[in-house]
Amino acid sequence: MSRTVLVLDRVSKVYGEGASTVIAVRDVSLELTEGRFVLLMGPSGSGKTTLLLLMGCLLKPTRGRLFLFEHEVSALDERTLPLLRRRYIGFVFQTFNLFPALTALENVELALNLKGITGRRARQQAAELLARVGLGERLHFLPRDLSGGEKQRVALARALAGDPPILLADEPTGMLDSRTGRQIVELLAELSRTENRLVFMVTHDPRVRDLADEVLVMEDGSIVARERAEEEMAAASRGERR
Amino acid sequence: MILREEESAWQAEEFKATMVSLAKKNLFHDRVRFLVALIGIQFAVVLMTLQIGFLLKFMTNASVLIDHIEADLWITAKNLKNFDFGLPFSEQKLYEARRAPGVLWAERFLMGFSYWKMPDGGQETIQVIGFNPETRIGAPWDIVEGDLTDVKYFNQIFIDEADRARLGFPRVGDEVEIIGQRARIAGITRGAKSFTGSPFVFTSFKNALKLSFIPPGQTVYILVKVAPGYAVEEVKQYLAETLTGVDVYTKREFSWKSRRYWLLVTGAGIALLSTALLGLLIGTIIVGQTIYASTIDHLREFGTLKAIGASNADLYRIIIAQALIVALIGYATGMLLSRIFLHVARRAGLEAYLPPEVLLAIFGLTVLMCVSASIISIYKITKLDPALVFRS
Repeated sequence: MSRTVLVLDRVSKVYGEGASTVIAVRDVSLELTEGRFVLLMGPSGSGKTTLLLLMGCLLKPTRGRLFLFEHEVSALDERTLPLLRRRYIGFVFQTFNLFPALTALENVELALNLKGITGRRARQQAAELLARVGLGERLHFLPRDLSGGEKQRVALARALAGDPPILLADEPTGMLDSRTGRQIVELLAELSRTENRLVFMVTHDPRVRDLADEVLVMEDGSIVARERAEEEMAAASRGERR
Repeated sequence: MILREEESAWQAEEFKATMVSLAKKNLFHDRVRFLVALIGIQFAVVLMTLQIGFLLKFMTNASVLIDHIEADLWITAKNLKNFDFGLPFSEQKLYEARRAPGVLWAERFLMGFSYWKMPDGGQETIQVIGFNPETRIGAPWDIVEGDLTDVKYFNQIFIDEADRARLGFPRVGDEVEIIGQRARIAGITRGAKSFTGSPFVFTSFKNALKLSFIPPGQTVYILVKVAPGYAVEEVKQYLAETLTGVDVYTKREFSWKSRRYWLLVTGAGIALLSTALLGLLIGTIIVGQTIYASTIDHLREFGTLKAIGASNADLYRIIIAQALIVALIGYATGMLLSRIFLHVARRAGLEAYLPPEVLLAIFGLTVLMCVSASIISIYKITKLDPALVFRS
């Protein structure tokens, strides 16, 4: 049976005060389990990234409760949040955010170091992770010598450092052509299924919906639709069109 | 709780080394920026080293004789400004000083400006130093050539090797002319260079009276040695109270008075010190600007580190390590450049005094400069919102 890894209980995030108040996330309740590949879609400004930041322990909710495994994130102090991120979460960003002065191997090694794995062990694990994302031949390349897709693969290997149970990806295909983007999403989907990881991805790209186990649609800070892949497949088999 | 325990493991030495390694790679990755920072530090190090070196040498020169003479007390004319501006007073004070309790010995000592006739017919201002050749109190301390006993004889003089060029390259045995009187060079000294730039000419007190404008029966200083068992301050107090028309200083007081005059009153020292401080300031600005620009350039990467679990302290470590690496390389290369400049300056007759503790202090200042220059960057990192990394 799949474990619940992330629970959001009527979570809201409010920015500003008085007349300038903006409710970025409004009463969102979710329960996410391991081994799932979940997409979060919605128009710009709908609160997707804020929700991702909340789930990534980079923001604390203004209201509601957020649980990461047994930890109630909303009740923890600021010093503990980085420790939670190190232990449980891997991030993939739209703009890769690799250190330009470090090789692919060193970029991944750095993340491993940060998670307490150092020395030869870190180097070996970094090489394995890069091989896992198909970059075994590009270990010593600097980011400037890699293509967009390759950079995102390095970022993915870095996110996998320390084997976190949760991967949060923010528009990871945004800077890539559609073919490369699809490959990256396929890889993310595979990482969720084969390694029993929760992969939660924010995207604008409707072409990758078919790879997800679940698609959440967000508007004005609220989850307005929740589609499960089984239902979609069943609908497809009945010949219905969305 | 478990998370907290894990934190200590994450902060292992090896991890700290990784942060330093990252700082190094970040720094060397952008070579142009690194070179700009390096030039900034080298500029500051060279300016500080040269200016402080010259300043210390000037200060040492300002009291070179006081510091080398083994007197405990100096009796001078009233309200004297410094050693080089010595004024004559009655020799009677010498005998009064000798009678004072606690005085082991007291000697006359003369310093008077005079003129040296150059081979081309021109004149050079000199400072004639007269001491007692029997006791050798006040005599030059490092003799390169000649026998100091010779100064007992008529107008026999010693000059310093550093002043030979200035005096027309005279050699031992040569006859020269000082205010119309013939004098003979009996020897050469070393390390007795005056602050004013006018060469010291050492001779007996008796000869010095003839070779300067000090009238007979007068002295310019009285040097006093305090007898064992007596406190210097007490003897000074007694002499100050009993001898009228003169001032009494301890060796340390008179040395500092002379240095202070040139350092603070004339502004010569202030000018040198200001240039050194200016170097420090400019260096701080250049390094600060460079490290800040590098931080801004790497903000997204720092944000990423923060997002994946690095603490602010981890990021400070990178910034500080960058500053220290630049400081170390900048100091080492800056010192190398300073040596070259000092060599050139020495050939032009300009000496610097840089004891190891001063070099260490300059290193400390360089490190301080670089670390303080990274404070703005540290502030920026503290305020860094890790959500930044989610923006394209």
